[in-house]
Amino acid sequence: MRIPTEALVEKYQSNLYAAAFSVCRSAEDAEDAVQDTFLKYHTMNKQFESEQHVKAWLLRVAINHAKNTAGSFWRRNASPLEDYIETLSFQAPEDRGLLEAVMALPEKYRVVIHLFYYEDYSIREIAGILHLAETAVKTRLSRGRKLLKITLKEEWNDDE
Amino acid sequence: MTNKEKYKQAFSALQPSHPICLEETTMKNTKTRIVLRPVAAVICVILLFGCARVAYAADVGGIRRTIQIWIHGDQTNAVMDIQNGHYTVSYEDAGGNTHEFGGGGVAFNPDGSERSLTEEEIMEHLSQPEVEYRDDGTVWIYYMEQAMEITDQFNEDSVCFLQLKDGDKTLYVTVKYGNGYATSPNAFVQPWEFNTNAG
Repeated sequence: MRIPTEALVEKYQSNLYAAAFSVCRSAEDAEDAVQDTFLKYHTMNKQFESEQHVKAWLLRVAINHAKNTAGSFWRRNASPLEDYIETLSFQAPEDRGLLEAVMALPEKYRVVIHLFYYEDYSIREIAGILHLAETAVKTRLSRGRKLLKITLKEEWNDDE
Repeated sequence: MTNKEKYKQAFSALQPSHPICLEETTMKNTKTRIVLRPVAAVICVILLFGCARVAYAADVGGIRRTIQIWIHGDQTNAVMDIQNGHYTVSYEDAGGNTHEFGGGGVAFNPDGSERSLTEEEIMEHLSQPEVEYRDDGTVWIYYMEQAMEITDQFNEDSVCFLQLKDGDKTLYVTVKYGNGYATSPNAFVQPWEFNTNAG
């Protein structure tokens, strides 16, 4: 199946942006990754099994694009993360602390944390998106949680 | 709140400042963005539903109709003149420039003699579907008041079978990707029955 690009942009551009941002920590690079992802989808003739399959593919491509720019020249010229966070409107004061704590995690933990807590993917699904072994996903998720607990203390509940 | 609820609330603040637009733009830092909006080739399909005015040019024996045609994906008013088995269609583009195209043909009587096409035959010919292959890789078919994307309708043999409805009439259309199409009011024309010698 194919879903019109316009419909996917409307529905998932925020999801892709958040995922890409969790990788590259740059608003400009995240937007570029999202644009490139939708372009890639739009210009290729790939068929998908379901909308869930499409979304997982979009996230994978966006994350990979964001990783590619994370170490590039363009990345070093992006706006500082702290300046960007200052521009955000949070619903609660503690939200900023949580976002900053996640952004302070190593990249390999941030992505897994984001796909688990924001996108509600299971460990198996995350492993499929990131092309990792499930054990690797479990390890990164566990270590990421521990670091968040250390930083956020009682603001972060104990997970299983 | 659960950790997931806290996380989603915090990250809901992340929104792209520039919503994705499917048009050609130029990135910051001189990186070139991508063209997502297709540039349609000149496609002209005559639709008969817009015959708002019929005038008889009695002095020259022809017929003039106001019709609507597809130009660059938009419906445009045009004037069609039919005379002696030939037709001419003229329309104005967005810049006010007049364009013309035309055609015609003959029919063969049972005894082999030729005759000019009748108005009805010309109209029937002109109301055939049109298939467009756009630069963005999508494939569209235009028929009467409908414009439909058929990019995903091709089977593994690159053939698309369509039934187009016009009131109580059905038109069976067989499209071979990049190699023409065939129509019939009765049944699907099989792919091996047309355009078999394409290079």
